[in-house]
Amino acid sequence: MSYLFALGTTLGTLWLRLAFGYHAGDEPVLVLFILPVVLSAYVGGLGPGLFATAIAALGSSYYLLTPLHSFRTSDLNLPNWVAMIIVAVLIVVLVNALRTNHRNLRAALADAGEIRTALDQHAIVAITDPRGKITFVNDKFCALSKYAREELLGQDHRLINSRHHSKEFISDLWATISQGRVWHGEIKNRAKDGTFYWVDTTIVPFLDAAGKPRQYVAIRADISARKWAEEAQVRLAAIVNSSDDAIISKTLGGIITSWNPGAETLFGHTAEEAIGQPIAMLFPPDRLSEEDEILARIARGESVKHFETLRRRKDGSLVDISVTISPITDHEGRIIGASKISRDITERKLAQEKTAWLASFPEKNPNAIVELDLRSSEITYINPAAIRLFPDLPKLRLEHPFLAGLPALFEATGQGTDGEPMRHERVLGDRCFSQTVNLIPESGRVRIYSTDITERLRAEEEVRRLNAELERRVIERTAQLEAANKELEAFSYSVSHDLRAPLRSVHGYVRMVMEDYGDRFDAEGVRLMNVVSSEARRMGQLIDDLLDFSRLGRQKMGSTEVDMTALARSEFEHQTRDLKDRVPRLDLRPLPPTQGDPAMLRQVFANLLGNAIKFSRHNPTATVEIGSQSGAEGDVYYVKDNGVGFDDRYLHKLFGVFQRLHGEAEFEGTGVGLALVKRVILRHGGKVWAESKLQEGATFYFTLPTDRHN
Amino acid sequence: MSSQSQVEVLLVEDNPRDAEMTLRTLRRRNLVNSVVHVKDGQEALEWLFAEGAHAGRDVSQLPKVVLLDLKLPKVDGLEVLRAMRADERTRLLPVVVLTSSQEDRDVIESYKLGVNSYIVKPVDFENFSAAVAELGHYWLLLNQKPL
Repeated sequence: MSYLFALGTTLGTLWLRLAFGYHAGDEPVLVLFILPVVLSAYVGGLGPGLFATAIAALGSSYYLLTPLHSFRTSDLNLPNWVAMIIVAVLIVVLVNALRTNHRNLRAALADAGEIRTALDQHAIVAITDPRGKITFVNDKFCALSKYAREELLGQDHRLINSRHHSKEFISDLWATISQGRVWHGEIKNRAKDGTFYWVDTTIVPFLDAAGKPRQYVAIRADISARKWAEEAQVRLAAIVNSSDDAIISKTLGGIITSWNPGAETLFGHTAEEAIGQPIAMLFPPDRLSEEDEILARIARGESVKHFETLRRRKDGSLVDISVTISPITDHEGRIIGASKISRDITERKLAQEKTAWLASFPEKNPNAIVELDLRSSEITYINPAAIRLFPDLPKLRLEHPFLAGLPALFEATGQGTDGEPMRHERVLGDRCFSQTVNLIPESGRVRIYSTDITERLRAEEEVRRLNAELERRVIERTAQLEAANKELEAFSYSVSHDLRAPLRSVHGYVRMVMEDYGDRFDAEGVRLMNVVSSEARRMGQLIDDLLDFSRLGRQKMGSTEVDMTALARSEFEHQTRDLKDRVPRLDLRPLPPTQGDPAMLRQVFANLLGNAIKFSRHNPTATVEIGSQSGAEGDVYYVKDNGVGFDDRYLHKLFGVFQRLHGEAEFEGTGVGLALVKRVILRHGGKVWAESKLQEGATFYFTLPTDRHN
Repeated sequence: MSSQSQVEVLLVEDNPRDAEMTLRTLRRRNLVNSVVHVKDGQEALEWLFAEGAHAGRDVSQLPKVVLLDLKLPKVDGLEVLRAMRADERTRLLPVVVLTSSQEDRDVIESYKLGVNSYIVKPVDFENFSAAVAELGHYWLLLNQKPL
């Protein structure tokens, strides 16, 4: 075709030249033939171009150049003709090269278009100028970023910045591409609607002639799904790793395949130790059968939820756990193992035990305990004792006399609302209950703790009655005592008055007889009258002593600090004042002072020293020792002599009134002195006792407690 | 007992033995010329204030001293003393209690009522007569009468 075109155009050109008045000798205008050559070369390439050139050369030589109709050419036209051929060939070569180039370019452009189409189908493409302004985005870019093209063009990539990446990351990217190097990485971007997406990004800088980036072409792939999956994986792993629960996976054969730090904490084995080991190592020997059961259930695709059991730690100790076991399946849904999530429930068990233990207090409390919601009047708690005592309570609630009027009571008194419990008493039948009512402000409930105080009230009543009775008796007895005392006083008074009067008369009249008729009595008569007289005198002494003794019991007792040493010394001196040569030696040791009635205590020393002096008067080396010693009940005072002593068989009689262990002829005395001593010491709260052996002297002891204050 | 002469002692004593011993001692020692002996408190007051059996007696004639027993029939010694001290006529008359009672109560009560002396009768006659003689000597011879 191209050759025909070359032939046609060249012949056409020849024909046109001939037709438009060619005359021999005219200029052949060979330059016209350049046109078909150019056209032929352009349409057909090198072959048709050269073919056209050949036609043009032959045709012009034959028809236009002299000699005409001959392929010979005159010397005159030959240079033109050769120049024409050379120019035509050159043009053909040039046009052909141009044509080839042109064709190649067209093919290259077509290729590029196809590649871009393919790229657009696959990738997210954006092109920016060197300053980062977006100059091109493809549809996928728009679709993923959810921006319209018009919104993107002219903007830079900050529009879709997710702020996920660090400044360093971004500056590293720019450093790389602005130096003309390709950057590759994963970028998280933010879409127009605020959602995020991840793109795997390659940025290729295109450089200008000077080697400066002219534009950047960014080709991206959406990797969000993978990223999300990775993130989810990381999150899951973090959850598993950070869980306090032991999370273990195992094969259906019971071999451990994964082991989280929680498992290490719970069971003591590290992951390295546990993975590959049979799960049975965690089972106490008596629970090994559990594993078979569990595996059987897992194999059937069932889960075991919150199964509470015991497991063994690495150190052999047992731990209470709650375990949930679920099957693990592969992509095809086949069960390939099991996951076990075990939780240490030791604390919970302890808490449960503690809760149960705490609950047992109200539960086992023999007193009624009730909690009531004041607003709904629902009973929210009632202990067994309350049900036992008031079986109708759950049914009757606020209508039961045990609770009746409680809300009104709260409103009326305002008591119990400030956290202070309100107390009141209720009589139910023949029982009386003390109720302590506590308002729990958080729940608006009241707790009623009740105690049956019937017995206590009865006991209190009984105590009151007994007290009254006792008081009455005390008054009665006091009156009796007072009467007896009065009687005794009257008696003493009579004794002192009436008993002494006749004695005085006996004595007086004997003396009067002797004064008036004494000279008529012989010696025996005088002796007999003297006996009457001295007996009367002695009886007078007896009466006086007895009165002293009786007065001592009734006398008010003073209490002052008494210097016992001084008291003993002064009384000893008093007792021995009239004794002249028969004064015994005194061995007086320092005595601790005491609290008491000085006059009464003087009586004690008077009688004890009087006795000591009296009963040792036959001893030429008579010694009276006064001292003290510490005893369990305080200081013990003693008066010791080396006189005749007494027979200790009669010790029990020693302190009785009118009791005498010696004959009147041997040692005078009325037998009141020691009784008086005993009375004084007893009134001081002390004790008195004696030790003696016949002919070995006697020691009298007494205590005076110093803590006696009233 | 009473005489026209000046009464020097009023002896109030229900016990005739004690009275005899007292009077014997006073007479034997020549301490007294005129003693009036009354046997109970009521008679003592009647004599002192010239009432009842003693109506007509010259009330202004008072003894130098009254020897007063405490335990007396009808009106006891302390009552007599109280009555005497309550009456202007006998308020300053010296009274010596001569009694068997050593009770603190009696001693204190007597002094509270304004007794001039309190003597416990000794059982021993020698002591008794010595005591009576001494008090007679003191009150009748030594003591300056207030009225």
